[in-house]
Amino acid sequence: MFPKQEVVAMLLAGGQGSRLGVLTKKLAKPAVPFGGKYRIIDFPLSNCVNSGIEAVGILTQYQPLILNEYIGNGQPWDLDGMHSGVNCLSPYQAIKGADWYSGTANAIFQNINYIERYDPEYVVILSGDHIYKMDYNKMLDFHKGKNAACTIAVIDVPIDEASRFGILNTYDDGEIYEFDEKPEHPKSTNASMGIYIFSWKELKKYLEEDEIKEGSSHDFGKDVLPAMLAAGERMYAYPFSGYWKDVGTIDSLWEANMDLLDPNVTLDLRDIYSRNPMMPPHYVANEANVQNSLVADGCEVYGNLEFSILFAGVKIGKGATVNSSIIMPGAVIEEGANVQFAIVAENTVIGKNAKVGSTPENVDEKDAWGIAVIGANTVIPENGVVNAKEMIDSETEVASNEK
Amino acid sequence: MRSNDVLGFIFAGTLEKQIAELASSRTTASIPIGGKYRLVDFVLSNMSNSGINNVGIVAEKNFLSLTDHVGSGSAYDLSKRRSNLTLLTPYGGKGFSNYIETIYNMHGYLEHCREEYVMLDPGNIVTNFDYSPLFDFHSKKNADITLVYKNGVVPKGYNHPITIDFDENARVSRILVKPDNTDEVVNQVYGAVLLSKSLLIREIKNALSLNELDGKRLLQSITGRYRVFAYENRGYCAAISSKNDYFDFNMDLMKKEVRDELFNPKRPIYTKVRDDAPSRYGLKSKVRNSIIAQGCIIDGEVENCVISKGVYVGKGAKLSNCIVMQDSKIGNGTNLNYVIIDKDVTIKDGRALMGFDSYPIYIAKKSVV
Repeated sequence: MFPKQEVVAMLLAGGQGSRLGVLTKKLAKPAVPFGGKYRIIDFPLSNCVNSGIEAVGILTQYQPLILNEYIGNGQPWDLDGMHSGVNCLSPYQAIKGADWYSGTANAIFQNINYIERYDPEYVVILSGDHIYKMDYNKMLDFHKGKNAACTIAVIDVPIDEASRFGILNTYDDGEIYEFDEKPEHPKSTNASMGIYIFSWKELKKYLEEDEIKEGSSHDFGKDVLPAMLAAGERMYAYPFSGYWKDVGTIDSLWEANMDLLDPNVTLDLRDIYSRNPMMPPHYVANEANVQNSLVADGCEVYGNLEFSILFAGVKIGKGATVNSSIIMPGAVIEEGANVQFAIVAENTVIGKNAKVGSTPENVDEKDAWGIAVIGANTVIPENGVVNAKEMIDSETEVASNEK
Repeated sequence: MRSNDVLGFIFAGTLEKQIAELASSRTTASIPIGGKYRLVDFVLSNMSNSGINNVGIVAEKNFLSLTDHVGSGSAYDLSKRRSNLTLLTPYGGKGFSNYIETIYNMHGYLEHCREEYVMLDPGNIVTNFDYSPLFDFHSKKNADITLVYKNGVVPKGYNHPITIDFDENARVSRILVKPDNTDEVVNQVYGAVLLSKSLLIREIKNALSLNELDGKRLLQSITGRYRVFAYENRGYCAAISSKNDYFDFNMDLMKKEVRDELFNPKRPIYTKVRDDAPSRYGLKSKVRNSIIAQGCIIDGEVENCVISKGVYVGKGAKLSNCIVMQDSKIGNGTNLNYVIIDKDVTIKDGRALMGFDSYPIYIAKKSVV
């Protein structure tokens, strides 16, 4: 028997995150490493725990192995309660047959049983591709105060960027009257953060209706929310202020990491929980030079490090230079290598004197410049060259600068 | 002998009088060391990695930090259906004045455990040691007692070190308690002893009935009566017996070969996890030859130091040859050389403290300088 939970959180973690290219080749986007020791999913999970939500369902579909293993029994997030906690929910076979999750709404629909066993009043729908800290309780209070069927968190974005987001147009009291997905001429700057609170009774009704509706893509943004609005449900926008960043692209992932080095960005990592690798403290050698960087346990730094983020167990060899880059767990940068404006994924080896990425000033054409990305378990040979904006993995051939 | 047939039995207060300052508010076993560990992490990890499932830790006093640190033992994988970590503290008003009485007072626990053998350990040794070959050695030699020894110079804090002589078969012929601690190289026994539980309890009861309360004498007296063998710990092994040993070991961590051996990823050293962010280096930071744990903010200059979790080093601060324990704040423009700074200490802006290689200054927990 499961004790009643007022709120159940459902975290959508099934997407491929194809815009992250080689970084999500073998793992789901929410499992992408972030900020020197975290994975993206640590942020919404820690937010849940810090908001007192004790039941969290994680909907997995694309490459779930690493994500499942990482979540485990939920102990690092205190989500290992006797009758609550975290569960990874994959598509499954039932009497009627088996179906993949065909859309975000369908993923929740297929797990109505999971939600109902807690008999909740409210369901929070979260996505696994944003970096932010938020007290969902405040949003829930807002939702209750408005007696809403659905509340969507919004953040104020600059007007010239508004056409990249889903914009919510509201009356003065926050009631939504229109959804405007990536509008050419935005009427407001309230961008949806992909965080929804629903009163469960209403959501369940609309999920069931949507499931049998012909032509529906079973997506929250495209189908369920418009249907609710059309039916005249009370839907409100909850204004959020604070750090929030979508990390769905290489550029934004790189920027969000670099934001951690910016003293003006107020994102306190102290109550973000994660699984901790069992490694000793890091070592900085005599000949090393470390400035304005984040360094995790288990690293050994013999080279030069500037404006960079080192995850656990990274080795930087003598005379190597790492600048404005993100080096994920277990990667090795050998002696004399030069890594600039790059993301280097797990367990990759950058050979001696290899050159990866470049500064924006060193590229003739502005458009040719971008963050260089190297996928997991890749070996860049000695003297290898990876140009700016190039994205390679273990199956790509690498040029050489050997004379 | 299988590892799961051996009970681990650790003494938490070993040499606490010799390490008075560091152990003033805690047990020897819970002295913070190496940036993110406590001394006991090494022996607990070694036991767990060697397949020992059941461990008791004897602590007479000041065990708050120890209980807080080891908790249920889950960090060492010692808290499952078939594995256990038990903290053994005085009860019923019985004293823990010496080893013999202590073990006797715990005979109820010892008899209750289903293991046939006991691995005694002093808990003050930093080493990455695999017990399994020792267990094989004990069986193969058909030994009653196996003593682990270290060949080298005895650390300064041992006033009356125990040394052994043995024959070519590693059978111990003599156990000596040295009247003084010299610089000569000897085979020192530091307290890691493997024997059967029944033998231990029998000998302890015998000793008590003869009013013989000296553990070293007891060890000497049984050499002739049992098959006692010697097993060498050939790896890196630092016994923490004084403030100077403590300082020297921390400085040893700057050596790559020491780190590689102690922190062998195949036999990790576990510790209680704290959710610290990665350490952050400021724009003007300058760090040379140092060990730094997570959760730190380094804005100053750090050289030959071990900096623990959550430490702040202010702008323009200069730290050389220092050990800083967790959550201490080192103010702007300070100048510190050869200083051991305990937990939660505040060094205010502009202060200067100078110790010396052979005499590092110690700043007590929660002090404000």
